[in-house]
Amino acid sequence: MSENKLIKDLSARRDKVRLGGGPERIAKQHENGKLTARERLERFLDPGSFEELDMFVMHRCSDLGMDKQDLPGEGVVTGHGTVEGRQVFVYAQDFTTMGGSLGEMHAKKICKVMDLALKTGAPCIGINDSGGARIQEGVDALSGYGQIFYRNVVSSGVIPQISVIMGPCAGGAVYSPALTDFVFMVKGANMFITGPQVIKSVTGEDVSAEQLGGALTHNQTSGVAHFMCENEDETFLMIRKLLSFLPSNNLEEPPLGDMRPVGPVEQLKSIVPPEPNKAYDIRDIINGFVDDADFLEVQPLYAMNIVVGFAKVAGQSIGIIANQPKVLAGCLDINASDKAARFIRFCDAFNLPIVNLVDVPGFLPGTNQEYGGIIRHGAKMLYAYSEATVPKVTIIVRKSYGGAYLAMCSRDLGADYVAAWPNAEIAVMGPDGAANIIFRREIEAADDKNAKRKEKIEEYRDTFANPYVAASRGYIDDVIDPAETRVKIAKVLDMLSSKRESRPAKKHGNLPV
Amino acid sequence: MRKFKVNVNGSLYEVEVEELGGTATYPTAPAPQPKAAPVPAPAPVAAPAAKAPVAGGAGLITSPMPGVIKDVRVNVGDVVGPDTIVVILEAMKMENEIFAGMSGKVTAVHTSRDTSVNTDDPLVTIG
Repeated sequence: MSENKLIKDLSARRDKVRLGGGPERIAKQHENGKLTARERLERFLDPGSFEELDMFVMHRCSDLGMDKQDLPGEGVVTGHGTVEGRQVFVYAQDFTTMGGSLGEMHAKKICKVMDLALKTGAPCIGINDSGGARIQEGVDALSGYGQIFYRNVVSSGVIPQISVIMGPCAGGAVYSPALTDFVFMVKGANMFITGPQVIKSVTGEDVSAEQLGGALTHNQTSGVAHFMCENEDETFLMIRKLLSFLPSNNLEEPPLGDMRPVGPVEQLKSIVPPEPNKAYDIRDIINGFVDDADFLEVQPLYAMNIVVGFAKVAGQSIGIIANQPKVLAGCLDINASDKAARFIRFCDAFNLPIVNLVDVPGFLPGTNQEYGGIIRHGAKMLYAYSEATVPKVTIIVRKSYGGAYLAMCSRDLGADYVAAWPNAEIAVMGPDGAANIIFRREIEAADDKNAKRKEKIEEYRDTFANPYVAASRGYIDDVIDPAETRVKIAKVLDMLSSKRESRPAKKHGNLPV
Repeated sequence: MRKFKVNVNGSLYEVEVEELGGTATYPTAPAPQPKAAPVPAPAPVAAPAAKAPVAGGAGLITSPMPGVIKDVRVNVGDVVGPDTIVVILEAMKMENEIFAGMSGKVTAVHTSRDTSVNTDDPLVTIG
């Protein structure tokens, strides 16, 4: 063969692989409102940056008629490219090729890019769109999943790992996304361990795939997913946005944003209502002190009583954890504790300073909370905050009571800087409860018990429900004008930028799970 | 009237059982009626002896936490949107606004002012 012929042959081979499952199946994918694996990677990555690997990999299964099956690309497209010029590794399952089913070599392709991502310290993003294990390949397919899970765990805390669900993701396949840092789900995608048919035959329950494991279910009810997107293009933009806050690995600092002016923000003075029993939206405060009011909320639909997400202050990437008085009075509960603890650990692993906004009346009371194990779930927050060695800044904007005061990154859990707004109430419990206990005898003895109770509640409020008792002990470093919050946070983050804190050497701690 | 002999732990009991037709009336408590549209009560009504079970479903708004109803902001027949406040629930020393979360018409109100509610107690049904 002449050289020219060789090149022609190569081109023909590449073209064949690029067609995946063929024009008919590609048309069907488009009919379902879905892009093909290659189209997805092209839209997600910087234009022209995608470099594919392992195009010519083929399966080697000969059982059950598989020897006659030709699966171009093995049902998955893998490689690397850039996002805003920064290297990332990617894989996208190709639903047009045997339903994107995962076999031995399909998994090997994925593992290769995962290994490269780990070795080079670059984020790994996987787009899932697969019918599940390739049953013909039996235990080899299972082994493939295991190989991926193992790498997810080894890479955890070293490089950011992002899973994107853009089609079915069922059975064993769900655990790779679950082991990664963030799960994006586009509307119409599904995730479940056992599908609607199995549930119907085992328990008789009738449930649709959408109800069981749709994007809304996992973003709102189960907390499995972190972001819900209307369509595929929006998903790619959101992943790129998320990456703009994150370092490429655990040894790097997060990327610096553009410098924005830092000055007083007068609007912060009027967000918290003067009445302590009135709610407001904590996100108004967040948007007030971060750069460009640009806050990327993580899990915005799950455990809405706590708000977590990424933003920048004076160009510095931070993770924000804030109580939301608008939902469940801003109480901490099981789901909020899980959500916050996982987010704190992510921030700590990837050198993102943590800024906490506190307005918390306490832990949510109730039998279902106690039976559900709020003790061990709440403990995760204490654990995660204490374990974190990144800069920790806490701003108490209103209430901070009891165990929840501690759990929201108090000085005692290692906060580097704690400030309170002048209206803050920091105490072991709310004035009503405290007055009823401390002054019980006096209230009982009074002729007008209600009047006495009110008087004592007021007395307690004046004496203790303010920031100055905590400030007098040094538990908080300063009481600040709300308008100065942005300036303070920017200065303190700058002051803490060289923070070093080491802990005793150990294999790993034992987080209460 | 039919007679049965029942053996309980070795003791024999004679039991008379009356078989009733479909339309028999009971001298006991009236069967729970489907709740009529509650007129805004001037005074807190004494809690009913047994709470009529409320059918669950997509349109049922339940209490997110234990507390006391401070205000019911909707009546049966009101048209609501996702951002309509249906109930003010005082809990954890906070007045919590409970939103409809969906669009529709209020078909039933299951609570009233100053009622204590627990987590998952029905508040309002939207059809």
